[in-house]
Amino acid sequence: MPPIYLNNAATSWPKPQSVKDVLAKSLELPVFGSGRTTGTQGIDYVSLAREKAAGLFSTEPEKIVFSQNATDSLNTLINGFLLKNKGCRAVTTALDHNSVLRPLFENQRAGNVALDIADFSSGKVSPDVISELIRKDTKLVVMSHASNVLGSVQDVEAVSEILHDKGIFFIVDGAQTAGHINVDVEKIGCDAFVFTGHKALLGVAGTGGFYLKDADSIAPSRFGGTGTRSSELYQPNEMPEKFECGTQNVTGLAALAEGISYVESLGISEIHARAKRQSEYLISRFREAENIRVHYEMPEVPVISFNIEGLSCEDVGFILSRKYGIVTRTGLHCAPLVHEKIDGGAGSVRISLSCFTTDEECKTAADAILEIAKNAASRLNSA
Amino acid sequence: MRLQGSIQHKSCADGSYMKEYQIDEPLSKEFFEYLKYFGRVTTLEEMGDGYYNFEKPNWFSIKGFAGDTTVEVRFKRETMEITTDFLYSLFSSFKEGADIAPLKEKEKFRQKRIDELLK
Repeated sequence: MPPIYLNNAATSWPKPQSVKDVLAKSLELPVFGSGRTTGTQGIDYVSLAREKAAGLFSTEPEKIVFSQNATDSLNTLINGFLLKNKGCRAVTTALDHNSVLRPLFENQRAGNVALDIADFSSGKVSPDVISELIRKDTKLVVMSHASNVLGSVQDVEAVSEILHDKGIFFIVDGAQTAGHINVDVEKIGCDAFVFTGHKALLGVAGTGGFYLKDADSIAPSRFGGTGTRSSELYQPNEMPEKFECGTQNVTGLAALAEGISYVESLGISEIHARAKRQSEYLISRFREAENIRVHYEMPEVPVISFNIEGLSCEDVGFILSRKYGIVTRTGLHCAPLVHEKIDGGAGSVRISLSCFTTDEECKTAADAILEIAKNAASRLNSA
Repeated sequence: MRLQGSIQHKSCADGSYMKEYQIDEPLSKEFFEYLKYFGRVTTLEEMGDGYYNFEKPNWFSIKGFAGDTTVEVRFKRETMEITTDFLYSLFSSFKEGADIAPLKEKEKFRQKRIDELLK
């Protein structure tokens, strides 16, 4: 029997049939694309994916750069910005993932940047808190659009407004929002928006990218063949070649293009409404048990973190997996600063839904979690 | 009871190293009772036939359900080399009413090495 898969905030599963089909189809003909072949047959999946991603985020295709994943994108953007602005201050938040924290902390250790961390309250980072952290030499702000632990969506538009007047570069990590809520990068007003292909965009692992408003704001940190301007020994300055070198993950990008098409065919507003209803159902069921603590009760993307009193998150995850066939994720979810605040660093159980999660799966999961909680409350014995 | 080898393994997000072992007979409540001499056991007796989690900080943890013939062991990576053979001994020495003194002696020496290693 297939598992009930509630770990979609890590990597979504299952994938649409059309995505699986295009993976096979993309390998049926030689790779076709400008600059690297004389072949004219087939589909230029890289350009197709770029057009699809640009459409999804309401921008132009030449402002979309592909990478391996969100972490890869964040490294390119953060390292590239600091290459041009060494010694500046940067702000990030306690809600952020290690994909943001580690590049920033490593750069701080190397003396490239000084960091300030904005705290959160009730799942949100107030734009005022970020504003208060801005100093004369602050040039960069990097923050998650939605917390991968709490599912809370941040008011990035308000933050963007504050930063815009001060000329501060703003990177939004959309790993948990792209595909779950409508994203219009122009409306957000950010300088860069990061996405990944293997979560709610329903593509496969090894694909991601970013929107970049102004190519001159970031220095490239990797160099190599682009299939363009091949007589030049320096990296081209045009987008996307400035940041894309080496052969692309063509098959993965074919899947990404198809995943975006699938998401668009369902409608992001509909996906969001369904996920909201299912999340609300789960949280309302969890309220039936006094010993279940949900860490954020109004998630705007379908991510719910909780603990059961008297049991470690690993115990709960193990029981869910082995006894009920329900796949979740346990631990710190690569976001250590969030957990310092919500559970003293012990970690939580996280369930995360996708557009394929059924109401029946939600009910089965709620019943199972309540059964574990009931057992924990009445029968927990410790030697 | 004997561990018959690892059927899967992975590095865990918390830095530990997980191995799932096949065992030659089903886990029992009595086995986890015996483990209480060596560490802390958490029990949910009404979860299936009983869920058990043995924890020995800086050594390893053992999770499993009574009646199952597999267990999940999470090793602390830094001490795994020192503790793996003790894990095998824990299983092979289990027998109701058996003298645990030799194993406790072995544990004492291992603990000394672990303390030195983690100092």
